[in-house]
Amino acid sequence: MRHDDPQLIEALAAEYVLGTLRGRARARFERWRAASQPIDAAIRAWEGRLVHMALATPSVRPPTSAWATIERRVRALEGRSRSGSHWRAIAAAVAFGILAGAGFFAWRVERESALQTYATIAQTSGAPLWRIEVSPDYRHLRAVTLGPYARGADRSLELWALPDGKAPVSLGLLPAQGGIERTLSAMQQSALRVASHVAVSLEPAGGSPTGAPTGPVLFVANRTVQT
Amino acid sequence: MGSDTGTGMPSDSADPVADAELERLIAACAQRDSAALRGLYTLTSPKLFGCMVRILKRRALAEEALQDVFVGIWQRAAQYDASRGRPWAWLISIARYRAIDVLRNERVELYREAEIEELPELAMPPESSGAGSRRTAEALARCLGLLSAEQRRGIELAFINGRSHAQIAQTIGEPLGTVKSWIRRGLKSLRDCMEP
Repeated sequence: MRHDDPQLIEALAAEYVLGTLRGRARARFERWRAASQPIDAAIRAWEGRLVHMALATPSVRPPTSAWATIERRVRALEGRSRSGSHWRAIAAAVAFGILAGAGFFAWRVERESALQTYATIAQTSGAPLWRIEVSPDYRHLRAVTLGPYARGADRSLELWALPDGKAPVSLGLLPAQGGIERTLSAMQQSALRVASHVAVSLEPAGGSPTGAPTGPVLFVANRTVQT
Repeated sequence: MGSDTGTGMPSDSADPVADAELERLIAACAQRDSAALRGLYTLTSPKLFGCMVRILKRRALAEEALQDVFVGIWQRAAQYDASRGRPWAWLISIARYRAIDVLRNERVELYREAEIEELPELAMPPESSGAGSRRTAEALARCLGLLSAEQRRGIELAFINGRSHAQIAQTIGEPLGTVKSWIRRGLKSLRDCMEP
């Protein structure tokens, strides 16, 4: 396919911005964009034309937990990219006249409390599929994909904490690739504190509609950290 | 206008926050000012989350995707170039493209539109924005109004609800090829109409 044809660029840019260019064609067009100023310009023009349709859709206030996770992830990024960042934090604390004690100490503790492996979910053959990590205060969870697992086209995999003698508590969906990180609710935190196992169930796309596992339990993994 | 899917475009609510303020915050994010990211989040997350919930249907999925969006904004703020696009177009695009990617990875199936209507809505106070932006909003509303009802519905289902060609064909009850060509011609008409 020629990608220096202005009419083709225009048509693909429109469908890319509209969202109907999907799958491999979408990924390919994104690669072309990175190398082509005309494609980039055509996409931006369409974004400018259609943006008001998005702005006219109703706003929805996100849950308060969303910002806590963003802040934590951004802080982790900054911590990785600059070793001197805590000196900047000291300077900022002094500059703002904050008594260094409480605020800075809390910040240091959070930064240094790395996530710890809570459980590793594996195939019966032993091949690992996901690593579940939890912060020592149980407020944050990360699920990291370690190996491929084929799920049905219209199915999701949902992770559950299994507190002894109590109903399973959902910990959200497992990613198909890469990692996801989320901030846990008080209920999820207390379930994880006392759980001895986690489980994975096969659910309709988007997760269990009832709040309890509805599909077959595919995996159960022992907790590896006892704190 | 807008009585069918609630996607009509009253131009007075088109730009909830002035461009200049958003540009200032994005520039400050590029300078690693985390307070600016917080400010940007406060001003824009309800609008971005609204768009993403509309596409992803499930709030839990949309919340995770929203987190990715703001981490992405933090990482890419230095690449924002005001001369090549308005800040809302940049922000909305990052959010919509992320939602579309999640849609693909998670294979989210469609839920009834009724579920969307149950979500609480937050009205944004209309605020004055750039005259150019207002003009584009009005042009889009006028030009969408000139499309056939089918073309307009197809374009709205794709852009606002994140529907694929096949899903739109199913919703409208027309053959896939017909729907594809409606949308293609609709987009071309929109462009011709909106160009000065």
